[in-house]
Amino acid sequence: MSLPDTGTEAPVQTRTPSALDLFMFSASSWLLHRIHYDAPFTIEHDGHPGLLIHGPLQGVYLVQTAESWLGDSARLRSISYRHLAPAYLGDTLECGGSVTAVDDEGVEVELWARKPDGTVTTTGKARFER
Amino acid sequence: MGIITKEARRWADREYPPFEMHVTATDIAKFAHATGETNPIHFDREAAVAAGFLNVVAPTLFTYVVRMHASALVPADRLEPDGSPSADVPPLPTKRAMAGETSVLLGERVVAGDVITVEKRLANMYEKEGRSGPLVFVDMEFSFTNQNGELVARETFTRIYR
Repeated sequence: MSLPDTGTEAPVQTRTPSALDLFMFSASSWLLHRIHYDAPFTIEHDGHPGLLIHGPLQGVYLVQTAESWLGDSARLRSISYRHLAPAYLGDTLECGGSVTAVDDEGVEVELWARKPDGTVTTTGKARFER
Repeated sequence: MGIITKEARRWADREYPPFEMHVTATDIAKFAHATGETNPIHFDREAAVAAGFLNVVAPTLFTYVVRMHASALVPADRLEPDGSPSADVPPLPTKRAMAGETSVLLGERVVAGDVITVEKRLANMYEKEGRSGPLVFVDMEFSFTNQNGELVARETFTRIYR
């Protein structure tokens, strides 16, 4: 399979993680930070309106969006991502991306997770190689 | 100026011992289900072998699981009130934590039966003025290798305290 051209966009994946999803991510990774499962603590101690969707879970969503798009023709070699705004339990995240550069060995893509109102919560860059 | 004290600077010179995780098919299946994976290569040995792997294969960012166990698999009295591993938290008045930037370079895949060694280093600690007060950034570097000495991943991760 050939790699897509610059500007090609990924099919958007929509994710709305439940409290159960947040707990399973914390439990399976042994991430003990209470802001992902203890709502009263999160509101009182950290001043958030509710439980936070893990940054690393959003990183996984970006990887899944990119790999289901390009993974049949190339392998993910590197990814970096950072968080611009908090995402809370109940939020829906639309995850997408596009090709920013193509070379002989692979492609560079930009990735994002955003709420339906347009607020970008996580943005990333990744490189796939044949 | 600044809130990073000499004591915190000395703390930042700390070294972390290497950590080994014996990765089981169960560890992989838990993380795969938690992240909504449905590909049988993460759950079924035969499917993984048919796809060219030696055993059930971990999702791409499974090294996150390895490094969290390295940090947080400690007695409860070595955790902060918010659940963070005390060894990762600088001795400063900033007690609320959030994830900053993550950067991962990927090498060999992780399969069930692997013994993954993670080496961890506190690379940098610095402060910036945020909208609601000072922010302290702690940059960590991780190197993951398997039992054959092959590089599985290198990762840098920034945790932000406010």
